[in-house]
Amino acid sequence: MGVGLYVHIPFCETKCGYCDFYSLAMKDRPTKPLVGAIVRELTQRRAATDEEVETIFVGGGTPTLLPVDGLKRLVDGIGAFIGGAVLKEFTVEANPASVDTEKIGVLRAGGVDRISMGAQSWHQAELTALERLHNPGDIVEGVRLCRAHDIGRINLDLIFGIIGQTMASWMDSLDRTIDLGVEHISCYALTYEPGTRLTALRDAGRLKPCDESLETEMYLAAIERLAKAGYEQYEISSFAQPGQRCMHNIVYWRNGSYVAVGPSAAGFVGGERYRNVPDLAEYVRRMDRDGTAEIERERITGATLAGETLMMGLRLNEGVELARLGIPAGAPLSPAVDRRIRLHGDGGLLEHHGDYLRLTPRGRLVGDAIISDLFAALHEGVAE
Amino acid sequence: MADRKLIRNFGIIAHIDHGKSTLADRLLERTGSISKREMREQFLDDMDLEREMGITIKANRATVKHTHDGQEYMLNLIDTPGHVDFHYEVSRAMAACEGVLLLVDATQGVQAQTVANAYLAVEGNVEIVLVINKIDLPGANPDETALEVEHILGLAAEEAIYTSAKTGEGLDELLTAIVQQVPSPGGDENSPLRALVYDAKSDPHRGVICNVRLVDGVVKRGDKIRMMAVGSEHVVTEVGKYMPKATAVADLAAGEVGYLVAGIKTLADVNIGDTITHASRPAETALPGYEAPNQMVFCDFYPGPGTDTAELREAMEELWVNDCSFTYDPATSDALGIGFRCGFLGLLHMKIIQERLERESDVNVVQTAPTVTYEIAMNDGSVKQIQSPSEMPDPSKIMEIREPFCTANIIVPAEYIGAVMSLSLERRGVHKKTEYLSPARVMLTYEFPLGEIIYDYYDKLKSCTRGYGTVDYEITDFRGGKLVKMDILVNAIAVDALSVIVHADKAARRGRALISRLKKEISRHMFEIPLQAAIGAKVIARETIKAFRKNVTAKCYGGDVSRKRKLLEKQKEGKKRMKQVGSVEIPQEAFMSILEPEDG
Repeated sequence: MGVGLYVHIPFCETKCGYCDFYSLAMKDRPTKPLVGAIVRELTQRRAATDEEVETIFVGGGTPTLLPVDGLKRLVDGIGAFIGGAVLKEFTVEANPASVDTEKIGVLRAGGVDRISMGAQSWHQAELTALERLHNPGDIVEGVRLCRAHDIGRINLDLIFGIIGQTMASWMDSLDRTIDLGVEHISCYALTYEPGTRLTALRDAGRLKPCDESLETEMYLAAIERLAKAGYEQYEISSFAQPGQRCMHNIVYWRNGSYVAVGPSAAGFVGGERYRNVPDLAEYVRRMDRDGTAEIERERITGATLAGETLMMGLRLNEGVELARLGIPAGAPLSPAVDRRIRLHGDGGLLEHHGDYLRLTPRGRLVGDAIISDLFAALHEGVAE
Repeated sequence: MADRKLIRNFGIIAHIDHGKSTLADRLLERTGSISKREMREQFLDDMDLEREMGITIKANRATVKHTHDGQEYMLNLIDTPGHVDFHYEVSRAMAACEGVLLLVDATQGVQAQTVANAYLAVEGNVEIVLVINKIDLPGANPDETALEVEHILGLAAEEAIYTSAKTGEGLDELLTAIVQQVPSPGGDENSPLRALVYDAKSDPHRGVICNVRLVDGVVKRGDKIRMMAVGSEHVVTEVGKYMPKATAVADLAAGEVGYLVAGIKTLADVNIGDTITHASRPAETALPGYEAPNQMVFCDFYPGPGTDTAELREAMEELWVNDCSFTYDPATSDALGIGFRCGFLGLLHMKIIQERLERESDVNVVQTAPTVTYEIAMNDGSVKQIQSPSEMPDPSKIMEIREPFCTANIIVPAEYIGAVMSLSLERRGVHKKTEYLSPARVMLTYEFPLGEIIYDYYDKLKSCTRGYGTVDYEITDFRGGKLVKMDILVNAIAVDALSVIVHADKAARRGRALISRLKKEISRHMFEIPLQAAIGAKVIARETIKAFRKNVTAKCYGGDVSRKRKLLEKQKEGKKRMKQVGSVEIPQEAFMSILEPEDG
């Protein structure tokens, strides 16, 4: 499996209340130093690895907020990084309202073949509740622009479980997204991440989160609706037309290797995880001064590696191969693991099929609990 | 050899926080026994825990010299614990004294332990010197305080000595009173040796150090001694006095107080209250012994996270060598594994032992809810004592279950009488009498089942009297009652460690309170968890922990891996602290939840 490349652009027009990514409201921040530092990091990382990059994902933030010349420098830098490698996928994240003809043109010319847009909802009230600045019309326009520039693959993100959302409005958002004919749809439950404004409001009792039962029904309805429309679920939140799965994300879920650059970016290369400093100015300063902005580096082996592989792999409908959890094919399972697999198997939540372990559709609803349980069991059998 | 006429053996008794340790410090300072430089606050409270909790747990002692009318007196100060749980230590210390200073805080007046300790002194037939302390404080009312003492204990108010241990005021008068009012010890140094072991402690290098009060005879290094009750014989390697640091002396004679080292390995080899005599010339009769400490409150200690049973056992053995006032026996719980059933003098004692275990041996302890000893009268006429609900025999074979009762004195400002009475009624208290200490303050006497007051009565009393109420109790007898064993079922499995013995009339309420607390402690699972409280097969309370329907992280990409993995590792550690009962994970806190106030 080839290596992925992730580039993090931490600019957003405004910071949304639910977002826990490292991003900054852009206002009039200069973007030049950041792009310069990212291009420098790309060069550094190229020198340090000889692995071939197959997939690229430029995310954030909103990368398309970079001015045209910034975008150009960025795609050029990425081009230099990949050299002559043949890419399978090159995705850039965008906001429906932040794309324009010129920028899409630059991206397409730079090899971008996939755009991922945060549509989130087709209802203005819900978009407002999420503090999104675009309107439903922008989604249509964004998709049109991409198509006009020969972007063959488009993903739209949708969110369910929004405060005030009804089943009817959710189904409507799904239908309108399907009607656009995009190749990939991601459906995320609104989550209350620690440290976000949304979580603070909830904890202060100023908003009432969506009822758990309704949220579950929305999720199940989405799976059913999307399946009928020809989108296969292949991961907890990911649905794709045949042949349109996001290969870059699959690298993550199969616990593969990826180079990551930019402030707060986390990479996994040569068995080591690293993370860059999550601060724009500091990132630029360190890249200038030290040629690196890493603040953490850790070699991942043994039970830790197996645990991560399990944690990421069970998100995929295909599941995870036992051999990749440090359990050789045909070898007996440790009593702890065996007991848990049986328990969840009997409960209809988990399938142990050949050398694969995977969540059943019911198991996917409570994936975190099962993963947590198996993760603990996996470590029980391993000396610490 | 010291002239017995110039010896004064005395202790200090007081309600907690009335300034006993500070007064002891001041006496040491005033008599020049320790220099200012050496002085650290409360020299006599030498355990960290005591300092933190502001109470004296183990009796300490010191010998100081004081000159009065040109004569040099040897004053043997015995510092005694003040808390309700440590009656027996106070009584031991008192048996080594001819007098006590009854210390009362002039801002607080007589409190429950003032009365309890004074009663012990009267029982022990020792002279009481009344000391009204903290007279420097703005709210001090020494005259009224002295009158309260006169009223409730019959000690003459005009003989009270007013002091401030803080400023040193009144200390000279106090020293004079000690010399003049505390009788000199009797005894005969030519009679066969009789030395009372009133306390003992373990020293890692020298074995057991016995604190002794010489009643008759003389003991010195090289003497072959015999423990009269145990029958064991040892050779004395050192005798000494606390000056206040342990200092070897040539001998200890009748009337004197000091310590003795004789190659005794563990505290288990020494009976507190035993009499030491000479092997070659033994005394005919031993001194009246002490009552062995009577453990009335029991709970289980199980190994907590990162601790195994062997480590816990080792820690308990180590602590027990230092303090054999608690008991421990192996215990097994389906839910908690292999641990120990431990007996304590009271709830504070339990808390202290648990903290000392964790602090001194670095073990983690999971403690179950405390219970008292119950007497079970069987149909066949036999009587057995049980310390745990799990020991309860088949109900069809039981004629009667009896529980320990105590008499409690509660001292409160008069305006809180109503609140205390309704609290006490709730706890099945029977009102015996009401006495006014002064127009503003009153002492209520109640009889309570011990089990009703061991865990939170004191806290409740404090909160319903704005902190002014104090209580002290003495266990009296066992009485039959309508008691039943209540089981708690989690997902239809009875969890033995959660069973309690309760009064039948209160079972339903207690059961409801208990499972509603459990509901808060146990997280939602992938399935519904019924919680039930039951007496036999009859369910008296029920709650359900709903299953979660959806529990999955929406987004997880490359940047999330480390954080999510660390979260799972944390959850894994959390699971270790969980006890698996069937397929339900019960956090350890749940086992303590039965301790919490019923309406809390």
